[in-house]
Amino acid sequence: MSNENNPTMQAEHKVSTPTNHDEFARQEFVRSYKQYLVKHVHGTNQLAYEKRVKPKIKHDKGRDPQNRFEVRDEMVADPQYQMFSTLLRTSQEMMWSSCQIPVQRNLKDLNKKINKRQKTTLGSLRLDPELKTPGYHTAVDIHCMPGGYHSEFDKNDASAGMVYDRAVHIYAMGQMGPYNDDIGASIALWLKENHPKFQPVKILDLGCSVGNSTVPYVDTFPKAEVYALDVAAPMLRYGHARAEDMGRKIHFSQQNAESTDFEDESFDLIVSHILLHETSNKAIKNIISECHRLLKKDGMMVHAETPQYKGMDPFDAFMLDWDTRNNNEPFWAGSHEIDLGQLSREGGFDPDKNFETMIPSAFQVAEAKRSLTFQGGDFGGGGFWFVYGNKK
Amino acid sequence: MSKLQRKARGERPTFFQDPNIDKVIAMVMGLAGEVAVLRDRLDTIEHLLEKKAGIKRSEIDDYKPSETVSARRAAWREQFLGEVLRIVEIEKEALGSEDGQPYDSAVALVEEEK
Repeated sequence: MSNENNPTMQAEHKVSTPTNHDEFARQEFVRSYKQYLVKHVHGTNQLAYEKRVKPKIKHDKGRDPQNRFEVRDEMVADPQYQMFSTLLRTSQEMMWSSCQIPVQRNLKDLNKKINKRQKTTLGSLRLDPELKTPGYHTAVDIHCMPGGYHSEFDKNDASAGMVYDRAVHIYAMGQMGPYNDDIGASIALWLKENHPKFQPVKILDLGCSVGNSTVPYVDTFPKAEVYALDVAAPMLRYGHARAEDMGRKIHFSQQNAESTDFEDESFDLIVSHILLHETSNKAIKNIISECHRLLKKDGMMVHAETPQYKGMDPFDAFMLDWDTRNNNEPFWAGSHEIDLGQLSREGGFDPDKNFETMIPSAFQVAEAKRSLTFQGGDFGGGGFWFVYGNKK
Repeated sequence: MSKLQRKARGERPTFFQDPNIDKVIAMVMGLAGEVAVLRDRLDTIEHLLEKKAGIKRSEIDDYKPSETVSARRAAWREQFLGEVLRIVEIEKEALGSEDGQPYDSAVALVEEEK
């Protein structure tokens, strides 16, 4: 129920899920609840650590904690951390629930509308019913989204896409912009500013979900052909309908990023947006090798993630690790401790052309200019994204 | 068919020794959410009644808040959450001050004062 005159809300398109008054109010509550935890409760963990937990570790071990595991052993017994954690987990569950309610109410009609939109022909949609959903998607439902990205509950179902598109806006507390496109927009802007001569003509987005991060590449590189893939059909059905409705030409296909059917050296730019941590130790290596195979010479891969734990204070690493055990992100810790230089090298890339850097959030830079009262939470590292990549 | 899965696959973590405490907190926050829904509905009704006397239910359901109204409601929710979660704020205030002495020390102080 957002509208054009209100940039703090999610932008509507014709395949958005309509909400009635109370459904929308329930979603707004979850957004406020998440904001409240960031602003008023999250920071108290540090106080509890400094005042209670760290002195206890020091007393017991005769030294400061040396890693996040030693912090974890004691923090899980601290009442402040217990309260914070149960509140945060609950907020995540309420977020999905509040987004499912309007989808469930209209499921048949919404699917009908989305499937009708597939016939339009700006871009394309190629599904593969034979594709095996990888184990890292089926072991648990990632970030607690019931059914994950892949489950279908109706004929030609797009419900996962509908729920996801709305939930991302609430999860990010609006900080990824009205189209949830900030990660893609930030990379595109960074490429333009830092690599002005780089003009990709063929772009591939891996693990694109509903294509929210894919769209900005169409806008930034209007002459490029843009492709996007994901393992989950419900996401792609919704993403394709959404892109068509927004007038953006994107070729979606249901494929696993570890092994695609594209020809060798067919892309100039390959991107992913918070994909790698949703995979596995084996899959992440396969994905980097596949990027190397698909990239043309002088092409570039850019992957956005949250920063690696390396060099981080044990307490900060412990807090960043919350999602591993409490938000169904089993590879979160593993992916944040990988040596990215070595990962590139093993994938066939020249380690001298590897980069790891923080890039500014395009939306937050624009929003700070628009509204002097804008105040970010800690999502996205406080206005920055971590990117890792390699030139070929 | 056609019924969305409601529980996320995966073992739900518990944070307190008694897992029912985690569940009670989820219930309290669920209830707080429904109070906020009612409050927004009341706010909408008041807003519409300021313009004219008789309003239809469909007008309430179709109402779209402006940026100003949204900001006002967000500010109300922050204050409301502050009241519901006051006990959590108390811990922050205690940890952030020197207010950490055992209560018995105050009893001892007043009893032993000559």
